[in-house]
Amino acid sequence: MNFYGVSDLPESIVDKLTPCRCGSAARISSGLCVSCLLQRGVHPKEPQSETFDAVLAEIEVRDTDWQLGNYQILEEIGRGGMGVIYRARQRHSRRIVALKRVLRYHADSRETLERFRREAEAAASLDHPNILPIYEVGKTEDGLPFFSMKYAPGGSLQRIAPALRNEPRRSVRLLAKVARAVQYAHEQGVLHRDLKPGNILLDGRGEPLVSDFGLAKWINSTSDLTQTMTVFGTPGYIAPEQVQYRAENLGAAVDVYSLGSILFDLLSGRPPFLGEHALAVIKQAAENPAPKLRSIAPQLDRDLETICARCLEREPLSRYASAGDVAQDVERWLQGRPIIARPVSVPVRLWRWSRRNRRLAAACATCVALGLTATMRQFQSWHLESTVRKEVLAAHSIAVLPFLDLDTGEADPVATEQFARALHTALLTIGPGKVVPLPVLPSKWTGTGNIDEIRIAAEQANTQTVLSATLRHIPHGIRLSLHLFRETNRLGQWTLDFQNPEELPKALAKGNLTTLLYRALDGAAPPEKGESADPMLKDDVARGFFNAGRALLDRRTIPDMDRAINCFEEAVRAAPTSVSVRSYLAVAYLGRNFLTANPKYVERGFQVAKEALALDSQNPAPHRSLCFLYASTGQFDRALEHGLFALEAGDPSERALGQVAGIWKELGHPEKAIRWFRKAKVSDRQPADYDALIGDCWMLLNEDGQAREAYRAAANFHPDLPEGWLGLCHLELLNGDFDSARTLFSQHAGEYQPFHTVKPLLAQIDFFSRNFAEAERLYREIHEADPKGVGFQQYGAISSASALARLKLAVGDQASAKQLISESLATDEAQLAISPRNAEALYRLAADEAVRGNLTLSLRHLRESIAAGWLDYRSTRLDPRFDQVADNPEFQSLLSELATRVAALRTALTSRSPVVKIKTQ
Amino acid sequence: MKPQLAFEGDRSRGRFETTRWSLVLSCANSGSTKETARQALGELCQIYWRPIFAFICRRGYSVVDAQDLTQDFFLMVLEGNLLALADPCRGRFRTLLLRALQNFLIDKHDWGKTKKRGGGIDFVQWDDWMAETPSQLSIPSGTLTDWPPEKIFDLRWATTVVEQALRLLAEECESRGRRRMFTVLSRYLTAERADISYASLSASLGIPANSVKRLLHHLRERYRDILRHEVAQTVESATEVDEEIRYLCAALATSAS
Repeated sequence: MNFYGVSDLPESIVDKLTPCRCGSAARISSGLCVSCLLQRGVHPKEPQSETFDAVLAEIEVRDTDWQLGNYQILEEIGRGGMGVIYRARQRHSRRIVALKRVLRYHADSRETLERFRREAEAAASLDHPNILPIYEVGKTEDGLPFFSMKYAPGGSLQRIAPALRNEPRRSVRLLAKVARAVQYAHEQGVLHRDLKPGNILLDGRGEPLVSDFGLAKWINSTSDLTQTMTVFGTPGYIAPEQVQYRAENLGAAVDVYSLGSILFDLLSGRPPFLGEHALAVIKQAAENPAPKLRSIAPQLDRDLETICARCLEREPLSRYASAGDVAQDVERWLQGRPIIARPVSVPVRLWRWSRRNRRLAAACATCVALGLTATMRQFQSWHLESTVRKEVLAAHSIAVLPFLDLDTGEADPVATEQFARALHTALLTIGPGKVVPLPVLPSKWTGTGNIDEIRIAAEQANTQTVLSATLRHIPHGIRLSLHLFRETNRLGQWTLDFQNPEELPKALAKGNLTTLLYRALDGAAPPEKGESADPMLKDDVARGFFNAGRALLDRRTIPDMDRAINCFEEAVRAAPTSVSVRSYLAVAYLGRNFLTANPKYVERGFQVAKEALALDSQNPAPHRSLCFLYASTGQFDRALEHGLFALEAGDPSERALGQVAGIWKELGHPEKAIRWFRKAKVSDRQPADYDALIGDCWMLLNEDGQAREAYRAAANFHPDLPEGWLGLCHLELLNGDFDSARTLFSQHAGEYQPFHTVKPLLAQIDFFSRNFAEAERLYREIHEADPKGVGFQQYGAISSASALARLKLAVGDQASAKQLISESLATDEAQLAISPRNAEALYRLAADEAVRGNLTLSLRHLRESIAAGWLDYRSTRLDPRFDQVADNPEFQSLLSELATRVAALRTALTSRSPVVKIKTQ
Repeated sequence: MKPQLAFEGDRSRGRFETTRWSLVLSCANSGSTKETARQALGELCQIYWRPIFAFICRRGYSVVDAQDLTQDFFLMVLEGNLLALADPCRGRFRTLLLRALQNFLIDKHDWGKTKKRGGGIDFVQWDDWMAETPSQLSIPSGTLTDWPPEKIFDLRWATTVVEQALRLLAEECESRGRRRMFTVLSRYLTAERADISYASLSASLGIPANSVKRLLHHLRERYRDILRHEVAQTVESATEVDEEIRYLCAALATSAS
């Protein structure tokens, strides 16, 4: 495979390469120096009296056989004893293929040639994802057969074998696929007879493709031996009986043997038998038992040794009965289950020895008869017991994902470790079991138990069961929420409250948590509650309405939202106890409110969500809906509480994480918000536009470089959304570069369709740059279209009424200003009545009071707003609404305190936070 | 899919007006010709996927992840409008692609090392990509480990340019029934006169030594034209071709150390 992706072949990456005389050491396949080839391009052009075509036409060096049948030969890619392989292009389809041409084939008559073709065609009919497809079998003008196959750009297993040496699991996984493919071919009546690493090719993605099925008899690419001994196959990998019997008498066991040799080679770096020449290798294989795998690679698992040994038995009947059995056993090993093959036991060895040394055995037999029987019985019962124990242990092994600390959004490895140790001790009092904390954060970790992290954890720890957990502070201690998964099934979920870490073992014992957990591992947990057991799922009518409603939700138009509401209402009627339906209905009402700003819809939304919560308070769905509702009404503290509860109740969705992130931002913690937004992006299956949101957080932290990068990503990868370039404009604006802001805006706004949604930023640019006439025109348009100011506001907490009031004052129109400011104040106060600690509403109030000239009130609200989380002091400095307080020393000191706070938050994000602990309150 | 080559070389300046990258740039803001631009961009991507892939690998992703990410990146480039990056970002295809790639990876930095296979949809068959443009670049292993990803990107870019030019030259020769001549003579494209034995080449091709000389000379000139034409596809105007080639040479020169 590719090495760092720079080349197709790892062997082209060499320790030392003689540099070209130009000094460069990079060469392409023909040996030419890349640098010199480039230099050719800047050579002065020499005047020419004739064209290339004319010269070609004049000098006759025509190709002779560079076309084979329907194929154009591109280059030779391999050559063996009996044939040549080319990379070729199929004439009409222009598909690139590998073309094997048989130069000397094992056939001297027409019948033999026919048989070859028939068998090749049988092999060509094999259709399996891990068998190299043969496209065409044909013969050329000179009568020699050829066949075209899929071109496998990844080379062969032989080529990558050195790279696999330290990755036994990868080798075993590859072999499992090969064995499955071989089993499939056997079922179709095709034996391979020459399985070896060189015959197993890899596609561009590293998936194995078994090549040359059924052809070994005809073509053998390496062995000189074939011509002298009529043995087909490759020494080192072929079964001993292949030397003794005619090809027709061989069975599936020969391929089983080769599978074992390949596995042996991949794991240990050499085939089981070595010798000075082919004959010596075959002789060894026929006369000696295969060496033990661990005698060559002692670090490997004993079970792998057993699997290899079973394949490599000299007696065909002692091997695995089929390639499928090999596949099954290596798959069991991969899953951490006990394998079926057993090491050859002493009695069997004795029996074998007696077969080889009959007379001596007869003499011994009587002496040991009694003892032997006893030994055998003992062996059988020991086997049974150990197998059962292994099975039980495997079923009770749990990987523990790093705990998510909901307070910080980070992993808490110390708590994870402590918990795993306590649980391990507790489990052992009940039965065999193992609890393994994952030592490192698995990729895709979010801590919320999404499918990816569960799968990765199971694979890393080699267990079937995975535990995911969150922890956070509650008023009187710590709350752990545990979720146990086997594959995608949730086996159970528990909540554990305790006061301090020392109490953990006691808390585990209390309430029989350990027993419940152990029973869940046995599949004996009480039936699952939560979303997957919703009564709506059992009612066809309810389910129909529910699904229709969900589809309509995404369309975001008023009629569609109304239809969605109707569908969900119908679903509620059909399944009145369904939590999911009511939770979605609440979201639909909220969506309806977004489209027309009618508080009636919000009220109804709250009502329905609370009904859902009353039905099942442990279900994440109503909490998620309440989180949305509270956040959209500016009640961020409550929204956060429900958001975190939804996560604790096992909501692994990306929306839940994104929502928590957004709330932290509103609460004045952009540094936390960034962490949660990134988490939302990890688990993101449908890419959403988190880039611009992350940009906003960086903007608040005064990290303009990072902000710019995030906005650019948003602009690059979500060109349909304006947030990316709006963010970039806003950054210019904050830095006082109004011209750049304007230029950027005009470059993008022209092609942006719903212009009214981006107009507020243009108005803000004119407003802040004191281009008052233009600002007034724009704000008036905005105000007329949306008098309540519920529409699209991006930055700076500026409502059109408030800005217009300031602008009217500038032209001395006191009356209009007064009217507008009271409109604006009414809106602010209405908002504060719902959420008294809403930073943005408090800030608006401060701005409006400043416009009115109420300095003391303005400063008080500004201070409150900052306490509630307002951070954007750069905007405050530029905002003309604060003109009247601008020179006030208290105002100045408030802003510089804010700047210090922003700097502190920035440090909190960039410096590594100390490793967390299960905290004591 | 192959670009049309002007057989007489690039004497007329006007031709560069329609090279692919300048076509992409000129169409960036006009809706009507976007499809053409997208197609041109798609063709460029099909040629220049290796530098992207190598860069991602060098950033520490596994080969399998890097393949998925390369696919994802191109999808985003082709679907999301890379072209929408307006004036400030105008420039060479190479630099723009690298910048977009860096941004892309910043967002993907938590991307799993063992992403589930089959999750992403391949918009192009990886095997076909590799089969179309096989590449066996030989370099010292030290280079790979010592060089930062950006330099690996340039190295891989330079290699792609020359390999693509050679490939086109080979196809041109083949279409005129001269594949063997190409195979024999292309090894001497950059050789010094003293290193070439015209006598033995004459024997192996079965033509007089003088003809070998003429063929090799023309082959070199033709190669030069194709190479320049290929580079021109990735820059905005003809005047930048020399500069771009010199940049790539300089990037490689440091590889000697």
